[in-house]
Amino acid sequence: MKKVFTVVIAVLMCASVVFAQAAAEENPTISVWVSGAGSQVEVLKAACEDFTAETGIKVEFSAPGDTYEEMMKTKMASNDLPDVFDTHGWAVVRYSDYLMPVNDMAFYKNISSQIIPTVSKDGKTYVLPFDMDLTGIVYNVDVMNEAGVDVDKIKTWADFEAACEKIKAIGKTPVTLGGSSGVTVGWYYDRVAPSFYYTDETNSKAADLKSGKFDPKPWEEISAMLDRWVSKGYLNADCVTGDFMGDITAISTAKAGFDFIQNVAITMGRANVNPDGNMGMMPIPSKSASDEPSLISGEGVALGIWKDTKHKAAAEKLLNYLAQPEVAAKVCTATGNVPALTNVKVDLGVLQQYIDKYSDVEAFNYFDRAYCPSGMWDVMCATGQDVLAQKSGAVAESAKQMKSTFDALWGN
Amino acid sequence: MLNAMQSKNRTINLFYVPALVLFAFFVVYPFVKGIYLSMTNWNGYSRSFKIIGLANYKNLFADKNVRRAFVNTLIYGAGSTVIQNLLGILLAVLLNQKFRGRGFVRTVIYLPVMIAPLIMGYIMYFFFNYSRGALNDILKLLSLAPVDWLADGNRSVWILTLVNSLQFVGISMVIYLAGLQNIPGVYYEAADIDGITPSKKFLFITLPLLMPAITSSVTLNLIGGLKLYDVIIALTGGGPGYDTNSLSTLIYRYYFGGERAGYASAIGLVMFVFIMIVSNIVVRGLQKRQVEL
Repeated sequence: MKKVFTVVIAVLMCASVVFAQAAAEENPTISVWVSGAGSQVEVLKAACEDFTAETGIKVEFSAPGDTYEEMMKTKMASNDLPDVFDTHGWAVVRYSDYLMPVNDMAFYKNISSQIIPTVSKDGKTYVLPFDMDLTGIVYNVDVMNEAGVDVDKIKTWADFEAACEKIKAIGKTPVTLGGSSGVTVGWYYDRVAPSFYYTDETNSKAADLKSGKFDPKPWEEISAMLDRWVSKGYLNADCVTGDFMGDITAISTAKAGFDFIQNVAITMGRANVNPDGNMGMMPIPSKSASDEPSLISGEGVALGIWKDTKHKAAAEKLLNYLAQPEVAAKVCTATGNVPALTNVKVDLGVLQQYIDKYSDVEAFNYFDRAYCPSGMWDVMCATGQDVLAQKSGAVAESAKQMKSTFDALWGN
Repeated sequence: MLNAMQSKNRTINLFYVPALVLFAFFVVYPFVKGIYLSMTNWNGYSRSFKIIGLANYKNLFADKNVRRAFVNTLIYGAGSTVIQNLLGILLAVLLNQKFRGRGFVRTVIYLPVMIAPLIMGYIMYFFFNYSRGALNDILKLLSLAPVDWLADGNRSVWILTLVNSLQFVGISMVIYLAGLQNIPGVYYEAADIDGITPSKKFLFITLPLLMPAITSSVTLNLIGGLKLYDVIIALTGGGPGYDTNSLSTLIYRYYFGGERAGYASAIGLVMFVFIMIVSNIVVRGLQKRQVEL
């Protein structure tokens, strides 16, 4: 009797394990990690919840915020990544070895040809891109009007400095740059560097950069320009210790003229600080009059599937769900960026007129993403902070450290 | 008889095994792996990397960010130790006296210890912040110009040292209070009979008999200061530039931000040796001065 009882219990236990596994396969739980914060995260989270309600597939949604990159690097080291994750501009350089191509998925045919090269390698596309980060320099329209600055006449950095002088003359801060985290100063370099390295085709150093040669001289000029802006009082008094939200507040309340944050400065400023904030976006000036102003374009919010996921079908289902026009449109509206899927139509509000106006302006990918080995960002930010703080020798040192880190990471 | 003893010892020794396994798994293995990684150019996540011998160690001594972090670490360690212990003894002597509200004052001084250093850093960020900081609000009330307190790296290093010291002074105070309460009253009674002044009583009775407490407190503060991390991350992020990094925060930045895990491992090993040597010297020096009650 005892023996029969033991056998029955054992059979029941085995059966429960088998059934539980079958149920798990049918309704798996997939992990989704996204970077960033604010409205874009909220939109993605809500979309994942709707997906669960519709399909029964549970989603463990995680947005670690500032620590996203560090946590992802730890996960890459242990080859234990989330089933679906955000590549935050690094789909190819950093994450492509960990992602499965999406070329066979339903949404692939809708990915804009403008973003395909940025998120593809050797013909394989690795992510579902929601938006393209098409951006320039954000400015406050009221401040420009008050100072008598016509942004369409700003073609070179010399013109930009002349505009700064006019803004300073009316008692406003020409450029707001909160350097405490280093990120905003990194964005300054990302925007300015193309005009010193490769937007001018006759003097382009793009090929050198791609082959592992970094010329520190243009970088020194970029740092010298920032240093000059600090000396001339074009930047906010707390440029070394100010923060991102301080910049958004200043630009959306007409206390500052320009900022170097992406278009999200406009959407966040109007949503969280001043609904009447009158802001616009302009192309980035060139170094010389013989060159043309340009824009920055790159991967925005993009999700990929871990190549070793145990829930491939569920992860693909999720990406297909998120690629639906009405869902993807919400992400673009939150980021204030141009859709990366051709079947998605979004009215970007005040931004739309600028996107249309500058549709013919040539756009270049972010400097560090396109031409630097992964790992340069921290040096760009830290040495930029030194320039902001006007430390002795900081201008030359910024170029020197960029060169040495570039060489070290390239293995030169 | 001998066999029974050996068998008993063997059984007893078996109880060490779990601890030894855990120690080997969580301390010895990562340490050995760290030595190995310090000789590679691993970026912290890639599947492939090259062994580059001692190149990381060679670069380390030429890296001005490492030199700066090393000096900062010394300031954080020594500065915090001095401030915490001087204040700790002072507060302990004061709060060892009997007066109304003594328990309340002790609690208030100890309270910051219970706050996570990261939170303390964020609180202090809003104290020292240029545009929204409490300190500049006070300056404005006094009709003084606001100061960007954290914009200067040298000043920020001392601000960080002070913040760390004030947060953990409660621990030193408690250690010294315990030490003071262990000193038998007869020594003071004998001193009173001999007409010894209070300052001499402190110098020749209290201080020598507090040496075990001083050893504990100094060692704790020194190690805590030398590996200062959280408050730096929250208050300055190691900036401006690399100016306020300790070796710990620099390792973090090089490892994750700079994707130079091999190099960061080399700094970590040097830091380990450095803390071990400093702590040993200090502890041995202090132990020699201890007196038996």
